[in-house]
Amino acid sequence: MAARVLQHCVRTLRLSSGPLALRAAVVPAAPLHRALSFYSADRRTRCVNRFPSLDVLCRQYAHLPPLTLESIEERVLYVLKLYDKINPEKLQATSHFMKDLGLDSLDQVEIIMAMEDEFGFEIPDGEAEKLMTPDEIVQYIADKKDIYE
Amino acid sequence: MAVVRSKVISLYKMMMTESNKFPSYNYRTYAVRRVRDAFRANSSETDPQTVERLVQEGQKTLGVIQRQVSIGKMFETQKSVVEN
Repeated sequence: MAARVLQHCVRTLRLSSGPLALRAAVVPAAPLHRALSFYSADRRTRCVNRFPSLDVLCRQYAHLPPLTLESIEERVLYVLKLYDKINPEKLQATSHFMKDLGLDSLDQVEIIMAMEDEFGFEIPDGEAEKLMTPDEIVQYIADKKDIYE
Repeated sequence: MAVVRSKVISLYKMMMTESNKFPSYNYRTYAVRRVRDAFRANSSETDPQTVERLVQEGQKTLGVIQRQVSIGKMFETQKSVVEN
């Protein structure tokens, strides 16, 4: 949440101040940030707290490309194809895990865990048990990550 | 029944996440495989008492896994070749 607020502030700041001034500030410090980008996420938040201005640069140089519905779907299907009990040829975005792919509830839990690993956030049990097709997973992740279109 | 089912599923998920935390490759793969096999072996169990007993056993094992993970983290060694 705090990160999002910060990001928003940074974005408005970037809009208001001219791009030239900002670029001048960015260029000399660039190598440092490349090194910083290898830091783990919690390290990064720690450095953000100490040097708020670095956050802009970290994000510019090291942030992941923004998620889109297509990229989420691609990643979801990729993870599913790697799961050993799913036949990649049968897999479709609308196929039901239990009815079409012959998995059971334990397999479904494992799929959800793989999605948590892939997208880096936790899916609560109550909502996880409703996710039964790749499409539903994509929709759920998009909702959680605020992606509509 | 539905209550038991969700309990078992959340136990399964917790045991799997916890088993994945072992720093040592051997313990980790063993724990994951063991949890998966045990749940699958008893997945057709219908007797409520047996299920309850198995759930309790699972909770105890979950505790064991958690303790062993913390101990394993104290004695972490280099990653083995197979992991890289």
